[in-house]
Amino acid sequence: MANIEIDAPGTSQLFIGNEAIARGALEAGIGFAAAYPGTPSSEILGSLAQVAKKMGIYAEWSINEMVAMEAAAGASYAGIRALAPMKQNGVNVVSDFLSNLVMTGIGKAGLVLVSCDDPSAISSSNEQDTRPVAKWLDIPLVEPGDFQEAKDMTKWLFELAEELGTICMLRSVTRIAHARGNVKLGELPTKKHKARFEQTHDLKNVMPTTLIPVPSPFRHFLLHMKLNKARDKFESSPFNKYAGPEKPELLIITSGSCWLYSQDAIDALKMRDKVGILKLGTLWPLPEKFVIEHLNKSNKVLFVEEIDPFIERAIMELAGNLPSDAVRPAFYGKRSGHINAFGELNPDLVIKAVSSILGIEYQARDVDYSNKVESIVKSNVPERTMTFCAGCPHRATFWSIKNALKLDGRDGFVTGDIGCYSMAIGPAGFFQVRTMHCMGGGAGVANGLGKLGQFGFDQPVIAVVGDSTFYHATIPALINGIYNRSKFILVILDNNATAMTGFQPHPGTGMTAMGEPTEVVSMEGLCRALGAQVKVCDPFDLKASTDTLLKMMADDGGAKVVIMRRSCELVRAKKEKTPYKVRVDANKCIGESCGCDRLCTRIFLCPGLVWDKKTGKSKIDEVVCSGCGVCADVCPQGAIVREAACLISS
Amino acid sequence: MAIKTKGCKELVAQVIETGLCTLCGACTGSCPYLAFHKGRIALLDNCSRTEESQCYDYCPRTYTDLNVISQEIFGTPYTTSEIGEVKDVVMARATDQIAIKHTQYGGAVTALLSLALAERTIDSAVVTKTLDDKSPSPFLAHTIDDIVQCAGSSYMACPVLGKYNQIHKDSNDRLAIVGTPCQVLSIAKMKAKLPENRINIANVKLVIGLFCTWALSPDKFHEFLKENCDLPKVRKLDIPPPPANRFDVYTSDGMTSFPLEQIRKFTMPACSFCLDMTSEFADLSVGSVEGTEGWNTIIVRTDAGADLLDRANKKGKLEVRKLPKSNLEHLKEAALLKKKRALKQIVEKSGSSDNLLYLGLSPELIETLLA
Amino acid sequence: MPNKQLMKDPLNLIITGVGGQGNVMISLIIGNAFVRDGYLVTIGETYGASQRGGPVMSHLRISKNTQYSPFIPNGSADIILGMEPVETLRMLGKYGNPNVITIINPRPIYSIDVTVGQAQYPELEKLIQTIKELSAKTWLINATEEAQKMGSHMFANAILIGALIGSGVLPLTRKSIEPVLRETFPKEIETNLAALDKGIKLVKS
Repeated sequence: MANIEIDAPGTSQLFIGNEAIARGALEAGIGFAAAYPGTPSSEILGSLAQVAKKMGIYAEWSINEMVAMEAAAGASYAGIRALAPMKQNGVNVVSDFLSNLVMTGIGKAGLVLVSCDDPSAISSSNEQDTRPVAKWLDIPLVEPGDFQEAKDMTKWLFELAEELGTICMLRSVTRIAHARGNVKLGELPTKKHKARFEQTHDLKNVMPTTLIPVPSPFRHFLLHMKLNKARDKFESSPFNKYAGPEKPELLIITSGSCWLYSQDAIDALKMRDKVGILKLGTLWPLPEKFVIEHLNKSNKVLFVEEIDPFIERAIMELAGNLPSDAVRPAFYGKRSGHINAFGELNPDLVIKAVSSILGIEYQARDVDYSNKVESIVKSNVPERTMTFCAGCPHRATFWSIKNALKLDGRDGFVTGDIGCYSMAIGPAGFFQVRTMHCMGGGAGVANGLGKLGQFGFDQPVIAVVGDSTFYHATIPALINGIYNRSKFILVILDNNATAMTGFQPHPGTGMTAMGEPTEVVSMEGLCRALGAQVKVCDPFDLKASTDTLLKMMADDGGAKVVIMRRSCELVRAKKEKTPYKVRVDANKCIGESCGCDRLCTRIFLCPGLVWDKKTGKSKIDEVVCSGCGVCADVCPQGAIVREAACLISS
Repeated sequence: MAIKTKGCKELVAQVIETGLCTLCGACTGSCPYLAFHKGRIALLDNCSRTEESQCYDYCPRTYTDLNVISQEIFGTPYTTSEIGEVKDVVMARATDQIAIKHTQYGGAVTALLSLALAERTIDSAVVTKTLDDKSPSPFLAHTIDDIVQCAGSSYMACPVLGKYNQIHKDSNDRLAIVGTPCQVLSIAKMKAKLPENRINIANVKLVIGLFCTWALSPDKFHEFLKENCDLPKVRKLDIPPPPANRFDVYTSDGMTSFPLEQIRKFTMPACSFCLDMTSEFADLSVGSVEGTEGWNTIIVRTDAGADLLDRANKKGKLEVRKLPKSNLEHLKEAALLKKKRALKQIVEKSGSSDNLLYLGLSPELIETLLA
Repeated sequence: MPNKQLMKDPLNLIITGVGGQGNVMISLIIGNAFVRDGYLVTIGETYGASQRGGPVMSHLRISKNTQYSPFIPNGSADIILGMEPVETLRMLGKYGNPNVITIINPRPIYSIDVTVGQAQYPELEKLIQTIKELSAKTWLINATEEAQKMGSHMFANAILIGALIGSGVLPLTRKSIEPVLRETFPKEIETNLAALDKGIKLVKS
């Protein structure tokens, strides 16, 4: 990660959007940041945590977004500027707290929520636009159009939050969060933070600094006043800008990353002098006067935004309230079908929309070349399906789960959750995971299934959850299962890391975000204290793991927990030497013949194993193989040999 | 039905899921896809093979033309004989007192295997061992002591052929296999079509088949035993010949009996489709002698069987007598009854006498049996 | 002689490969070098679930005066640095054009789709030939091989950066890259510099 704490105002750095936001928070003088890892937001807290000690601030990986948001609010109440970054699902998790926070107001110090959406759900279970939350809960909302704005807006938002006395929201997307661009740095503050909670609680006094949302309707009215104030400020914000001719043939109204795509599209179409781009940076409340001014510029308006028609609907509503003799442009966007209301956008989709509206023919490249290359690629380029890394303990765990369920024979299945192990819905995990929703969803769904015995349900249910997810959301579900006597097995995949999002620490790892050693919240200790039967297994011991699962499935007793404990391979490889040198004895390998049918490369699917069609044997890809040696126990012929690496001379 | 496609998918669809599977174990132990667990054969993954699939080929409940098998083993067509190809039928008992103490009836199997091991005509034997919890388990015996430990019947189905399949393909060990009629049939199928990637079938020097009317379900009956007996004290299980109508459990405290009716609930449904009571394709077939405790009936079918029996007799390991005519008649009656009953069940299940599910029989034989 | 000016503005460079190859590292080094030299750079990465083994592509937009979007529009790549041959072809499919320049490390990495037998990896000779036919100019740099000779396949990244520099397609010199390499690899700088030089040499030969 880049050095976001560089003291070099005026210089240009290459930051990803998340680093720019983190830098903006630093320049705003925050003292507190709390988050739960979630792609594409993780680097915000990650980069703050790296420099926290040096900068004299506090950064924490909280157990989930709800606690993170509440903790940040606590800091704001004590006069410390606080940042709570999260991915779209985090906003769902914090919504209950938010719905109360907007009623109470924040403390003296600014509080900013950063929501990083993931259009096309590239790294998410669902696709969701969080901007409507601003409208739903009455929160001032901004959206940066590039990396510079990501920094500048974040910094400004703290001031705005303090002026208004309410939480403010910045919404980013993957293509800003993870893309890199030039950011000119500002000054870093030198002021020391001093925290104190002023006890102004006084029910007779209804000033906005009370911390309780009572009386609610009145506070709701006060909130609307705050938003009106925000709207006034937004009318003259430098983050809303227009570029293009005075009377464009088409006016694009856009925000966020879509602003960059629109610029690229207009450039490619060579329509800079015909198409104008109105970029909005302050989205909610909508700066109505400013928008109406620009609506008059053209009789064709195209809305380019991700993912929902948020601006589109707001402006259409605005246009609906114009006087009856006002000139209304033709609106194009998601409602008209010119822009998808699902999935992420890119310059090509904008080119398509603009070409269609203006009746332009556009060729990106020479037609013959296009036809040639497209037909070649269709027949020559194989897909790259995702799989677990070589050496991943999840592969071994799901192998044991698969075998145990099949041996048990009652058509048992797995309810899944969020993490690297989500890939077990596919061939990587032998199609074992049958349901997947949000963090903690697996154990929750299993709870219900485990109570259906009275309706003739007899299928074994296994809920899988990662270690970080366990602390995040699954403990209440486990308590529910114990208390309500639900029959299921909770398998915790303890690879000692929040791996999918970048190996952030969690309560089981004994390390904080700022690199300090801390208490380990023992997973098995907690489960036993709750009253569950707990077994700890090494997933690489396939036989013991399968036997443990079989025994538990045959046991009719209460809640059961199996902890499959082995470090994530990527983490282990950084600290330790390769344990085994693995090779295939070609004389023993029987390949596709009866007795094997190349189990290793057809079903086990470790990327370290390669099928050589010419020789009809499997072999090890030494660059990819991690040397875990598990495949040696899978090969039915004993053709895969593992030798302790330390015993092999060079 | 497509004939070309024959793999584990078809095995599961045609045999395991239709209730024909006898848990002989022939499909287990030689590949990672099929495994025996708690009274059933489980398919762990899909094998993609559609032909030359040994699980399908050697299953005694996939299409089996008994004429072809008979030609392979004996060089003769499959006849109407109730008890199969016969060179001789005798009654015999072991002379060794230790063997007699542990065995089911006459201890003949124990004595024959012990002799074969001692004279080194075999190196090991695939047998069934009753574990401490009284469940049966496939076992590879190497010593006479091993053999003695494996004496006695559990009456439960045991997939011993899985153990045979697990023996390394490069092993030179000469083997004996003791099995039930379905297991013996599977071995016969292997002799008719040589296996690949498994130990050479030519290593199997001796097949001893057991008389069998039905086998009990290894998980359900074991549950029953567990619930009704003090398992650690159980020494021997026995079904005395009619008219006893009992199932006896001998413990260190004495004997408990259960009405045979109660035990019949646990017979494997697949056994009702089996025509073979006397393991017709073995070298030697061994069972009890009705009305005479402590003796075995032995049907000698091949030279290999005859030679071993002869040596056992000459070396004084077995006391051998002629089997009384009435016993032989009763044996044939019982065997014929099983054939008729089974064929009737098959036709009922398939819905037509043209579809015998897995059996290939001559039309004359079918007619005779269904009459 | 390397050009002091961008071949065109914006210059669209794609770096493509398979997760874990060091794609992101290369784009960072080159991006930072450009920023130091006063350019506006946008780098878009598609690494989705950031998984080792999945395809990774980095789009670099380099301009003197505008911050471009992190997506190169279809058919608009100027240079493709392909760390894996099939991924290079995949990129040509979407972003190639008759003027594109390709620099490739011709070492296949098989996806599980290929090992499963569900997909066929194209024959390598033919694949390279096809890439050549679809490019205006192609360089083959056996970066993994050369890196392994130097002690680890990890040095392939520096070799490929060297190839980019030495080819003259970017207005960057060894001088632009060296300080960025020093910051990125403080511990193994000598070997990485040697790898860089190796790349420069390989592309010129």
